[in-house]
Amino acid sequence: MLQLLSQLVAALKGIGLNYDFLLAADERSAFLHGLVVTIQLSLATIVFSLLAGFALAAMLVSRTRWIAFGARAFVEVTRNTPTLVQLYCAFLVLNMLITQALKASGGNPLTPFIWVVLVISLHKGAFHAESLRAGIQAVPAVTLEAAASLGFSRRRQLWLVQLPLAVRFALPSLINNLVDLVKMTTVASAIAVGDVTYQSIMIWTQRDNVLELMLLMLAFFGLLTYLVNLAGRRLEHHLRMPGYGG
Amino acid sequence: MTKKNIPALSRPLFLRAASMLLATGFLISGTAHADATLDKIKQRHKLVVGVLLSGGPFGSIDPANQKPLGWNVELAQDIARQLGVELETVQVQPSNRVQLLQQGKVDILIAGMEWTPERNEILSFAPTPFYKVGGVAIVPKESAIKHWEDLRGKEVCLSQGSNYAKPLTTEYGASVKGFKGSAESLLALRGSNCVAAVHDATLLQPLVNGNPDWKNYRTLTPELIPGNSVVWTRKGEQDTVAAIDKIVQGWHKSGWLISTEKKLNIAPASAALVELHDKFKKS
Repeated sequence: MLQLLSQLVAALKGIGLNYDFLLAADERSAFLHGLVVTIQLSLATIVFSLLAGFALAAMLVSRTRWIAFGARAFVEVTRNTPTLVQLYCAFLVLNMLITQALKASGGNPLTPFIWVVLVISLHKGAFHAESLRAGIQAVPAVTLEAAASLGFSRRRQLWLVQLPLAVRFALPSLINNLVDLVKMTTVASAIAVGDVTYQSIMIWTQRDNVLELMLLMLAFFGLLTYLVNLAGRRLEHHLRMPGYGG
Repeated sequence: MTKKNIPALSRPLFLRAASMLLATGFLISGTAHADATLDKIKQRHKLVVGVLLSGGPFGSIDPANQKPLGWNVELAQDIARQLGVELETVQVQPSNRVQLLQQGKVDILIAGMEWTPERNEILSFAPTPFYKVGGVAIVPKESAIKHWEDLRGKEVCLSQGSNYAKPLTTEYGASVKGFKGSAESLLALRGSNCVAAVHDATLLQPLVNGNPDWKNYRTLTPELIPGNSVVWTRKGEQDTVAAIDKIVQGWHKSGWLISTEKKLNIAPASAALVELHDKFKKS
Protein backbone atom coordinates (compact mmCIF):
# COMPACT_ATOMS: atom_id res chain seq x y z
CA MET A 1 0.00 0.00 0.00
CA LEU A 2 2.79 2.38 1.04
CA GLN A 3 4.78 1.27 -2.03
CA LEU A 4 1.90 2.30 -4.29
CA LEU A 5 1.65 5.64 -2.49
CA SER A 6 5.40 6.36 -2.92
CA GLN A 7 5.09 5.60 -6.63
CA LEU A 8 2.11 7.93 -6.93
CA VAL A 9 3.91 10.74 -5.05
CA ALA A 10 7.01 10.31 -7.26
CA ALA A 11 4.85 10.40 -10.40
CA LEU A 12 3.11 13.59 -9.26
CA LYS A 13 6.45 15.19 -8.42
CA GLY A 14 7.29 14.71 -12.08
CA ILE A 15 4.55 17.19 -13.00
CA GLY A 16 5.66 19.58 -10.28
CA LEU A 17 3.21 18.72 -7.51
CA ASN A 18 4.73 18.11 -4.09
CA TYR A 19 2.66 15.53 -2.21
CA ASP A 20 5.47 14.52 0.18
CA PHE A 21 3.22 15.03 3.16
CA LEU A 22 1.39 11.82 2.21
CA LEU A 23 4.55 9.87 2.97
CA ALA A 24 4.92 11.29 6.50
CA ALA A 25 2.86 9.03 8.76
CA ASP A 26 1.71 11.71 11.23
CA GLU A 27 0.70 14.26 8.57
CA ARG A 28 -1.04 11.62 6.47
CA SER A 29 -3.07 10.36 9.43
CA ALA A 30 -3.87 13.94 10.48
CA PHE A 31 -5.19 14.69 6.97
CA LEU A 32 -7.27 11.51 6.86
CA HIS A 33 -8.62 12.33 10.31
CA GLY A 34 -9.56 15.74 8.93
CA LEU A 35 -11.57 14.10 6.15
CA VAL A 36 -13.42 12.01 8.72
CA VAL A 37 -14.15 15.04 10.93
CA THR A 38 -15.51 16.98 7.96
CA ILE A 39 -17.85 14.12 7.10
CA GLN A 40 -18.96 13.91 10.75
CA LEU A 41 -19.55 17.67 10.86
CA SER A 42 -21.51 17.58 7.61
CA LEU A 43 -23.76 14.74 8.78
CA ALA A 44 -24.35 16.24 12.23
CA THR A 45 -25.10 19.71 10.87
CA ILE A 46 -27.40 18.36 8.14
CA VAL A 47 -29.51 16.50 10.70
CA PHE A 48 -29.63 19.23 13.34
CA SER A 49 -30.11 22.11 10.92
CA LEU A 50 -33.09 20.34 9.34
CA LEU A 51 -34.59 19.77 12.80
CA ALA A 52 -34.00 23.41 13.72
CA GLY A 53 -35.41 24.51 10.35
CA PHE A 54 -38.62 22.54 10.76
CA ALA A 55 -39.13 23.79 14.31
CA LEU A 56 -38.49 27.40 13.30
CA ALA A 57 -40.75 27.15 10.26
CA ALA A 58 -43.58 25.80 12.41
CA MET A 59 -43.06 28.73 14.80
CA LEU A 60 -42.92 31.25 11.95
CA VAL A 61 -46.39 30.37 10.68
CA SER A 62 -47.92 30.04 14.11
CA ARG A 63 -51.09 31.99 14.87
CA THR A 64 -49.74 32.92 18.32
CA ARG A 65 -48.28 36.41 17.92
CA TRP A 66 -45.36 36.13 20.33
CA ILE A 67 -44.14 32.78 19.00
CA ALA A 68 -44.17 34.02 15.44
CA PHE A 69 -42.50 37.29 16.42
CA GLY A 70 -39.79 35.52 18.44
CA ALA A 71 -39.05 33.15 15.57
CA ARG A 72 -38.94 36.01 13.06
CA ALA A 73 -36.52 37.97 15.27
CA PHE A 74 -34.27 34.91 15.62
CA VAL A 75 -34.27 34.23 11.88
CA GLU A 76 -33.42 37.84 11.05
CA VAL A 77 -30.57 38.06 13.57
CA THR A 78 -28.97 34.74 12.61
CA ARG A 79 -29.31 35.23 8.87
CA ASN A 80 -27.93 38.74 8.90
CA THR A 81 -24.74 38.13 10.87
CA PRO A 82 -21.71 36.32 9.41
CA THR A 83 -21.22 32.69 10.47
CA LEU A 84 -17.59 33.20 11.39
CA VAL A 85 -18.42 36.10 13.68
CA GLN A 86 -21.17 34.05 15.33
CA LEU A 87 -18.73 31.18 15.83
CA TYR A 88 -16.05 33.40 17.35
CA CYS A 89 -18.63 35.02 19.63
CA ALA A 90 -19.94 31.65 20.76
CA PHE A 91 -16.63 29.90 21.18
CA LEU A 92 -14.33 32.63 22.45
CA VAL A 93 -16.84 34.59 24.52
CA LEU A 94 -19.90 32.51 25.42
CA ASN A 95 -17.83 29.40 26.03
CA MET A 96 -15.50 31.33 28.33
CA LEU A 97 -18.48 32.62 30.36
CA ILE A 98 -19.96 29.12 30.60
CA THR A 99 -16.61 27.70 31.71
CA GLN A 100 -16.30 30.32 34.42
CA ALA A 101 -19.86 29.74 35.59
CA LEU A 102 -19.45 25.96 35.67
CA LYS A 103 -15.97 26.00 37.22
CA ALA A 104 -17.32 24.94 40.60
CA SER A 105 -19.64 22.20 39.36
CA GLY A 106 -17.21 20.16 37.32
CA GLY A 107 -16.25 22.01 34.17
CA ASN A 108 -17.64 22.74 30.76
CA PRO A 109 -18.82 19.70 28.77
CA LEU A 110 -19.17 21.58 25.50
CA THR A 111 -16.31 20.75 23.13
CA PRO A 112 -15.40 22.94 20.15
CA PHE A 113 -16.97 20.31 17.86
CA ILE A 114 -20.29 20.72 19.67
CA TRP A 115 -20.06 24.50 19.38
CA VAL A 116 -19.44 24.29 15.64
CA VAL A 117 -22.41 21.94 15.13
CA LEU A 118 -24.62 24.16 17.31
CA VAL A 119 -23.74 27.46 15.63
CA ILE A 120 -23.84 26.15 12.06
CA SER A 121 -27.07 24.19 12.62
CA LEU A 122 -28.85 27.24 14.02
CA HIS A 123 -27.45 29.46 11.28
CA LYS A 124 -28.55 27.14 8.48
CA GLY A 125 -31.78 26.32 10.33
CA ALA A 126 -32.84 29.93 9.76
CA PHE A 127 -32.31 29.48 6.01
CA HIS A 128 -34.21 26.18 6.03
CA ALA A 129 -37.03 27.89 7.93
CA GLU A 130 -37.42 30.50 5.22
CA SER A 131 -37.45 27.84 2.47
CA LEU A 132 -40.06 25.85 4.37
CA ARG A 133 -42.14 28.95 5.07
CA ALA A 134 -42.31 29.53 1.33
CA GLY A 135 -43.41 25.93 0.93
CA ILE A 136 -46.00 26.12 3.71
CA GLN A 137 -47.51 29.31 2.37
CA ALA A 138 -47.64 27.80 -1.11
CA VAL A 139 -50.15 25.22 0.01
CA PRO A 140 -53.43 26.30 -1.58
CA ALA A 141 -55.97 27.82 0.81
CA VAL A 142 -58.60 25.53 -0.70
CA THR A 143 -56.71 22.47 0.55
CA LEU A 144 -56.53 23.96 4.05
CA GLU A 145 -60.23 24.75 4.08
CA ALA A 146 -60.96 21.20 2.97
CA ALA A 147 -58.81 19.89 5.81
CA ALA A 148 -60.52 22.19 8.34
CA SER A 149 -63.90 21.07 7.13
CA LEU A 150 -62.90 17.48 7.75
CA GLY A 151 -62.12 18.31 11.38
CA PHE A 152 -58.30 18.57 11.26
CA SER A 153 -57.01 20.68 14.18
CA ARG A 154 -54.37 23.37 13.48
CA ARG A 155 -51.60 21.05 14.61
CA ARG A 156 -52.74 18.08 12.53
CA GLN A 157 -53.23 20.40 9.56
CA LEU A 158 -49.63 21.50 9.88
CA TRP A 159 -48.25 18.01 10.36
CA LEU A 160 -50.40 15.99 7.93
CA VAL A 161 -51.33 18.49 5.22
CA GLN A 162 -49.06 21.54 5.14
CA LEU A 163 -45.64 20.06 5.95
CA PRO A 164 -45.71 17.12 3.47
CA LEU A 165 -46.67 19.50 0.66
CA ALA A 166 -44.28 22.19 1.91
CA VAL A 167 -41.37 19.74 1.88
CA ARG A 168 -42.09 18.82 -1.74
CA PHE A 169 -42.28 22.48 -2.75
CA ALA A 170 -39.22 23.49 -0.73
CA LEU A 171 -37.00 20.46 -1.48
CA PRO A 172 -34.82 22.05 -4.21
CA SER A 173 -34.22 25.04 -1.94
CA LEU A 174 -33.46 22.81 1.05
CA ILE A 175 -30.94 20.76 -0.93
CA ASN A 176 -29.41 24.05 -2.08
CA ASN A 177 -28.99 25.04 1.58
CA LEU A 178 -27.48 21.64 2.43
CA VAL A 179 -24.86 21.94 -0.32
CA ASP A 180 -23.91 25.33 1.11
CA LEU A 181 -23.90 23.78 4.58
CA VAL A 182 -21.28 21.19 3.64
CA LYS A 183 -19.00 23.98 2.50
CA MET A 184 -19.80 26.07 5.57
CA THR A 185 -18.30 23.39 7.84
CA THR A 186 -14.91 24.80 6.86
CA VAL A 187 -15.38 27.66 9.36
CA ALA A 188 -14.58 25.03 11.97
CA SER A 189 -10.92 25.58 11.07
CA ALA A 190 -11.07 29.00 12.74
CA ILE A 191 -11.49 27.44 16.18
CA ALA A 192 -9.10 24.56 15.61
CA VAL A 193 -11.67 21.77 15.34
CA GLY A 194 -9.55 19.55 13.11
CA ASP A 195 -11.61 19.37 9.94
CA VAL A 196 -9.90 18.97 6.57
CA THR A 197 -9.34 22.74 6.15
CA TYR A 198 -7.63 23.03 9.54
CA GLN A 199 -5.40 20.02 8.87
CA SER A 200 -4.51 21.42 5.45
CA ILE A 201 -3.58 24.80 6.98
CA MET A 202 -1.39 23.12 9.59
CA ILE A 203 0.36 21.10 6.87
CA TRP A 204 0.86 23.88 4.36
CA THR A 205 2.21 26.36 6.89
CA GLN A 206 5.05 23.91 7.48
CA ARG A 207 5.57 22.58 3.96
CA ASP A 208 4.26 25.40 1.78
CA ASN A 209 2.34 23.07 -0.57
CA VAL A 210 -0.83 25.16 -0.69
CA LEU A 211 -1.75 24.29 -4.29
CA GLU A 212 -1.48 20.54 -3.78
CA LEU A 213 -3.67 20.65 -0.69
CA MET A 214 -6.16 22.96 -2.36
CA LEU A 215 -6.55 20.47 -5.23
CA LEU A 216 -7.23 17.69 -2.74
CA MET A 217 -9.75 19.79 -0.83
CA LEU A 218 -11.53 20.88 -4.01
CA ALA A 219 -11.83 17.27 -5.10
CA PHE A 220 -13.08 16.17 -1.68
CA PHE A 221 -15.69 18.91 -1.29
CA GLY A 222 -16.76 18.42 -4.89
CA LEU A 223 -17.40 14.77 -4.10
CA LEU A 224 -19.30 15.52 -0.86
CA THR A 225 -21.55 18.15 -2.42
CA TYR A 226 -22.15 15.90 -5.42
CA LEU A 227 -23.33 13.14 -3.08
CA VAL A 228 -25.67 15.58 -1.27
CA ASN A 229 -27.00 16.74 -4.62
CA LEU A 230 -27.49 13.15 -5.78
CA ALA A 231 -29.39 12.27 -2.62
CA GLY A 232 -31.52 15.36 -3.12
CA ARG A 233 -32.38 14.43 -6.70
CA ARG A 234 -33.33 10.89 -5.66
CA LEU A 235 -35.52 12.28 -2.88
CA GLU A 236 -37.17 14.74 -5.24
CA HIS A 237 -37.90 11.95 -7.66
CA HIS A 238 -39.26 9.75 -4.88
CA LEU A 239 -41.51 12.47 -3.46
CA ARG A 240 -42.68 13.91 -6.76
CA MET A 241 -46.31 14.71 -7.26
CA PRO A 242 -47.52 13.94 -10.77
CA GLY A 243 -48.82 17.13 -12.31
CA TYR A 244 -46.79 19.42 -10.05
CA GLY A 245 -43.70 19.65 -12.27
CA GLY A 246 -41.87 16.54 -11.06
CA MET B 1 -43.36 12.06 -19.68
CA THR B 2 -40.06 13.05 -18.09
CA LYS B 3 -36.92 13.83 -20.09
CA LYS B 4 -34.07 11.35 -19.55
CA ASN B 5 -31.26 13.22 -17.84
CA ILE B 6 -27.64 12.55 -18.76
CA PRO B 7 -25.78 12.48 -15.42
CA ALA B 8 -24.09 15.87 -15.07
CA LEU B 9 -20.59 14.46 -14.69
CA SER B 10 -20.73 12.68 -18.03
CA ARG B 11 -21.72 15.70 -20.08
CA PRO B 12 -19.00 16.64 -22.62
CA LEU B 13 -18.89 20.31 -21.56
CA PHE B 14 -18.34 19.44 -17.91
CA LEU B 15 -15.53 17.01 -18.73
CA ARG B 16 -13.78 19.59 -20.89
CA ALA B 17 -14.07 22.31 -18.27
CA ALA B 18 -12.85 20.02 -15.51
CA SER B 19 -9.80 18.87 -17.44
CA MET B 20 -8.93 22.47 -18.34
CA LEU B 21 -9.15 23.48 -14.68
CA LEU B 22 -6.89 20.63 -13.59
CA ALA B 23 -4.40 21.42 -16.37
CA THR B 24 -4.26 25.06 -15.25
CA GLY B 25 -3.52 23.85 -11.75
CA PHE B 26 -0.59 21.76 -13.00
CA LEU B 27 0.76 24.65 -15.07
CA ILE B 28 0.71 27.15 -12.22
CA SER B 29 2.65 24.77 -9.98
CA GLY B 30 5.55 24.80 -12.42
CA THR B 31 6.20 28.58 -12.51
CA ALA B 32 9.16 29.76 -10.48
CA HIS B 33 10.02 33.23 -9.24
CA ALA B 34 13.19 34.20 -11.09
CA ASP B 35 12.93 38.02 -11.03
CA ALA B 36 15.80 39.90 -9.40
CA THR B 37 14.18 41.40 -6.31
CA LEU B 38 16.98 43.84 -5.64
CA ASP B 39 16.68 45.33 -9.14
CA LYS B 40 12.94 45.59 -8.70
CA ILE B 41 13.37 47.35 -5.35
CA LYS B 42 15.81 49.86 -6.84
CA GLN B 43 13.61 50.40 -9.88
CA ARG B 44 10.43 51.01 -7.90
CA HIS B 45 12.42 52.96 -5.30
CA LYS B 46 10.43 51.08 -2.66
CA LEU B 47 11.06 48.16 -0.33
CA VAL B 48 8.04 46.16 0.82
CA VAL B 49 8.70 44.39 4.10
CA GLY B 50 6.39 41.89 5.75
CA VAL B 51 6.42 42.53 9.50
CA LEU B 52 4.82 40.67 12.35
CA LEU B 53 2.82 43.04 14.53
CA SER B 54 1.50 40.72 17.22
CA GLY B 55 1.79 43.28 19.98
CA GLY B 56 4.54 44.15 22.44
CA PRO B 57 7.84 45.90 21.80
CA PHE B 58 8.72 43.72 18.80
CA GLY B 59 5.84 44.82 16.65
CA SER B 60 2.58 46.58 17.36
CA ILE B 61 0.30 49.27 16.00
CA ASP B 62 0.29 52.69 17.64
CA PRO B 63 -3.36 53.23 18.66
CA ALA B 64 -3.03 57.01 18.32
CA ASN B 65 -2.14 57.16 14.61
CA GLN B 66 -2.50 53.50 13.47
CA LYS B 67 1.15 53.38 12.41
CA PRO B 68 3.20 50.22 12.92
CA LEU B 69 6.07 50.48 15.39
CA GLY B 70 8.48 48.25 17.27
CA TRP B 71 11.64 46.24 16.70
CA ASN B 72 10.62 44.66 13.38
CA VAL B 73 9.58 48.04 12.00
CA GLU B 74 12.79 49.80 13.15
CA LEU B 75 14.88 47.15 11.42
CA ALA B 76 12.82 47.47 8.25
CA GLN B 77 13.18 51.26 8.29
CA ASP B 78 16.95 51.05 8.65
CA ILE B 79 17.31 48.53 5.83
CA ALA B 80 15.28 50.82 3.56
CA ARG B 81 17.35 53.81 4.63
CA GLN B 82 20.64 52.04 3.89
CA LEU B 83 19.39 50.82 0.51
CA GLY B 84 18.29 54.36 -0.27
CA VAL B 85 14.64 53.52 -0.95
CA GLU B 86 11.25 54.16 0.63
CA LEU B 87 9.70 51.65 2.98
CA GLU B 88 6.28 50.06 2.83
CA THR B 89 5.34 47.68 5.63
CA VAL B 90 2.75 44.94 5.29
CA GLN B 91 1.43 43.25 8.40
CA VAL B 92 1.76 39.46 8.19
CA GLN B 93 0.58 36.56 10.33
CA PRO B 94 2.44 33.31 11.02
CA SER B 95 -0.21 31.52 8.97
CA ASN B 96 0.24 33.52 5.77
CA ARG B 97 3.74 35.05 5.88
CA VAL B 98 5.42 32.43 3.70
CA GLN B 99 2.63 32.63 1.10
CA LEU B 100 2.80 36.44 0.99
CA LEU B 101 6.56 36.25 0.35
CA GLN B 102 6.22 33.54 -2.29
CA GLN B 103 3.50 35.44 -4.13
CA GLY B 104 5.60 38.59 -4.31
CA LYS B 105 3.32 40.68 -2.11
CA VAL B 106 6.34 41.42 0.10
CA ASP B 107 10.04 41.49 -0.82
CA ILE B 108 11.50 40.34 2.51
CA LEU B 109 10.18 39.11 5.83
CA ILE B 110 11.13 40.47 9.22
CA ALA B 111 8.56 38.41 11.06
CA GLY B 112 10.18 36.69 13.99
CA MET B 113 10.85 33.61 11.88
CA GLU B 114 13.66 31.51 13.25
CA TRP B 115 15.82 29.38 11.02
CA THR B 116 14.48 25.82 10.63
CA PRO B 117 15.49 23.12 8.14
CA GLU B 118 11.96 23.07 6.65
CA ARG B 119 11.98 26.83 6.02
CA ASN B 120 15.52 26.57 4.67
CA GLU B 121 14.26 24.28 1.90
CA ILE B 122 11.70 26.67 0.54
CA LEU B 123 13.19 30.11 1.23
CA SER B 124 16.55 31.92 1.28
CA PHE B 125 17.78 34.00 4.20
CA ALA B 126 20.46 36.47 5.22
CA PRO B 127 22.89 34.30 7.22
CA THR B 128 23.65 36.77 10.00
CA PRO B 129 20.89 36.60 12.62
CA PHE B 130 19.46 39.78 14.12
CA TYR B 131 18.05 38.12 17.22
CA LYS B 132 17.82 34.84 19.04
CA VAL B 133 14.53 33.77 20.54
CA GLY B 134 12.82 30.61 21.67
CA GLY B 135 9.34 29.63 22.73
CA VAL B 136 7.86 29.86 26.18
CA ALA B 137 4.53 28.59 27.43
CA ILE B 138 2.12 30.82 29.30
CA VAL B 139 -0.06 29.14 31.92
CA PRO B 140 -2.37 30.34 34.70
CA LYS B 141 -0.48 30.91 37.96
CA GLU B 142 -2.29 28.13 39.82
CA SER B 143 -1.86 25.59 37.02
CA ALA B 144 -0.24 22.22 37.74
CA ILE B 145 2.08 22.59 34.76
CA LYS B 146 5.59 23.23 36.08
CA HIS B 147 7.77 21.69 33.37
CA TRP B 148 7.47 21.15 29.63
CA GLU B 149 7.01 17.42 30.32
CA ASP B 150 3.76 18.16 32.17
CA LEU B 151 2.21 19.08 28.80
CA ARG B 152 2.12 15.46 27.71
CA GLY B 153 -1.33 14.54 26.44
CA LYS B 154 -2.66 18.05 27.11
CA GLU B 155 -3.96 20.61 24.65
CA VAL B 156 -1.68 23.52 23.78
CA CYS B 157 -2.70 26.58 21.77
CA LEU B 158 -0.36 28.21 19.28
CA SER B 159 -0.43 30.04 15.94
CA GLN B 160 -0.93 28.20 12.66
CA GLY B 161 2.52 28.23 11.06
CA SER B 162 4.43 28.27 14.33
CA ASN B 163 7.56 26.16 14.34
CA TYR B 164 6.92 25.11 17.95
CA ALA B 165 4.27 22.64 16.80
CA LYS B 166 6.78 19.98 15.85
CA PRO B 167 8.87 19.87 19.05
CA LEU B 168 5.71 20.04 21.17
CA THR B 169 4.16 17.04 19.45
CA THR B 170 7.24 14.91 18.87
CA GLU B 171 9.28 15.64 22.02
CA TYR B 172 6.63 16.42 24.62
CA GLY B 173 3.60 14.58 23.26
CA ALA B 174 1.26 17.53 23.58
CA SER B 175 -1.71 17.90 21.24
CA VAL B 176 -1.52 21.27 19.50
CA LYS B 177 -4.35 23.47 18.31
CA GLY B 178 -3.39 26.13 15.81
CA PHE B 179 -5.26 29.42 15.67
CA LYS B 180 -5.10 32.16 13.09
CA GLY B 181 -2.83 34.39 15.17
CA SER B 182 -1.45 34.84 18.65
CA ALA B 183 -4.43 37.00 19.63
CA GLU B 184 -6.94 34.20 19.02
CA SER B 185 -4.63 31.67 20.65
CA LEU B 186 -4.27 33.72 23.83
CA LEU B 187 -8.02 34.31 23.91
CA ALA B 188 -8.58 30.56 23.69
CA LEU B 189 -6.19 30.12 26.63
CA ARG B 190 -8.17 32.60 28.70
CA GLY B 191 -11.33 30.64 27.85
CA SER B 192 -9.68 27.46 29.20
CA ASN B 193 -9.82 25.78 25.82
CA CYS B 194 -6.20 24.71 26.35
CA VAL B 195 -3.89 24.39 29.36
CA ALA B 196 -1.09 26.52 27.89
CA ALA B 197 -0.26 28.75 24.93
CA VAL B 198 3.20 28.59 23.34
CA HIS B 199 4.60 31.61 21.51
CA ASP B 200 7.87 33.52 21.17
CA ALA B 201 9.43 34.58 24.46
CA THR B 202 9.58 38.10 23.04
CA LEU B 203 5.77 38.15 22.86
CA LEU B 204 4.88 36.48 26.16
CA GLN B 205 7.49 37.83 28.58
CA PRO B 206 6.32 41.47 28.27
CA LEU B 207 2.75 40.27 28.92
CA VAL B 208 3.47 38.57 32.23
CA ASN B 209 6.00 41.19 33.24
CA GLY B 210 4.01 44.31 32.63
CA ASN B 211 0.47 43.75 31.41
CA PRO B 212 -2.20 44.01 34.16
CA ASP B 213 -4.60 41.72 32.20
CA TRP B 214 -2.06 38.93 32.51
CA LYS B 215 -1.08 39.28 36.17
CA ASN B 216 -2.54 35.84 37.02
CA TYR B 217 -0.36 34.05 34.50
CA ARG B 218 3.23 32.89 34.49
CA THR B 219 5.63 31.55 31.89
CA LEU B 220 7.40 28.23 31.61
CA THR B 221 11.12 28.23 30.98
CA PRO B 222 13.68 27.15 29.70
CA GLU B 223 13.03 28.43 26.20
CA LEU B 224 11.91 25.90 23.62
CA ILE B 225 14.23 25.46 20.61
CA PRO B 226 15.91 28.89 20.75
CA GLY B 227 16.71 29.77 17.17
CA ASN B 228 18.29 32.57 15.19
CA SER B 229 15.83 35.17 13.89
CA VAL B 230 16.89 35.99 10.35
CA VAL B 231 15.56 38.06 7.46
CA TRP B 232 13.91 35.79 4.86
CA THR B 233 13.73 36.23 1.09
CA ARG B 234 12.42 34.12 -1.77
CA LYS B 235 14.52 31.13 -2.77
CA GLY B 236 17.53 31.96 -4.93
CA GLU B 237 17.58 35.73 -4.33
CA GLN B 238 21.32 35.86 -3.76
CA ASP B 239 21.78 39.58 -4.48
CA THR B 240 19.13 40.62 -2.00
CA VAL B 241 20.50 38.22 0.59
CA ALA B 242 24.03 39.62 0.19
CA ALA B 243 22.87 43.24 0.48
CA ILE B 244 20.81 42.59 3.60
CA ASP B 245 23.50 40.47 5.22
CA LYS B 246 25.96 43.33 4.85
CA ILE B 247 23.48 45.65 6.56
CA VAL B 248 22.87 43.25 9.46
CA GLN B 249 26.60 42.76 10.02
CA GLY B 250 26.95 46.55 10.08
CA TRP B 251 24.28 46.70 12.79
CA HIS B 252 26.18 44.29 14.99
CA LYS B 253 29.47 46.09 14.40
CA SER B 254 28.09 49.48 15.35
CA GLY B 255 26.05 48.20 18.27
CA TRP B 256 22.91 49.76 16.76
CA LEU B 257 20.83 46.69 17.62
CA ILE B 258 21.80 46.85 21.28
CA SER B 259 20.90 50.55 21.47
CA THR B 260 17.58 49.90 19.67
CA GLU B 261 16.84 47.12 22.13
CA LYS B 262 17.41 49.53 24.98
CA LYS B 263 15.36 52.25 23.32
CA LEU B 264 12.35 49.95 22.96
CA ASN B 265 12.67 48.67 26.57
CA ILE B 266 13.04 45.06 25.51
CA ALA B 267 13.76 43.14 28.67
CA PRO B 268 15.62 40.98 29.49
CA ALA B 269 18.46 42.29 27.28
CA SER B 270 19.57 39.56 24.92
CA ALA B 271 22.97 38.01 25.59
CA ALA B 272 23.11 36.87 21.97
CA LEU B 273 23.21 40.47 20.73
CA VAL B 274 26.18 41.25 22.99
CA GLU B 275 27.95 38.13 21.70
CA LEU B 276 27.37 39.06 18.07
CA HIS B 277 28.45 42.68 18.71
CA ASP B 278 31.76 41.45 20.16
CA LYS B 279 32.25 39.05 17.27
CA PHE B 280 31.72 41.66 14.56
CA LYS B 281 33.53 44.48 16.40
CA LYS B 282 36.73 42.49 16.08
CA SER B 283 36.40 41.78 12.35
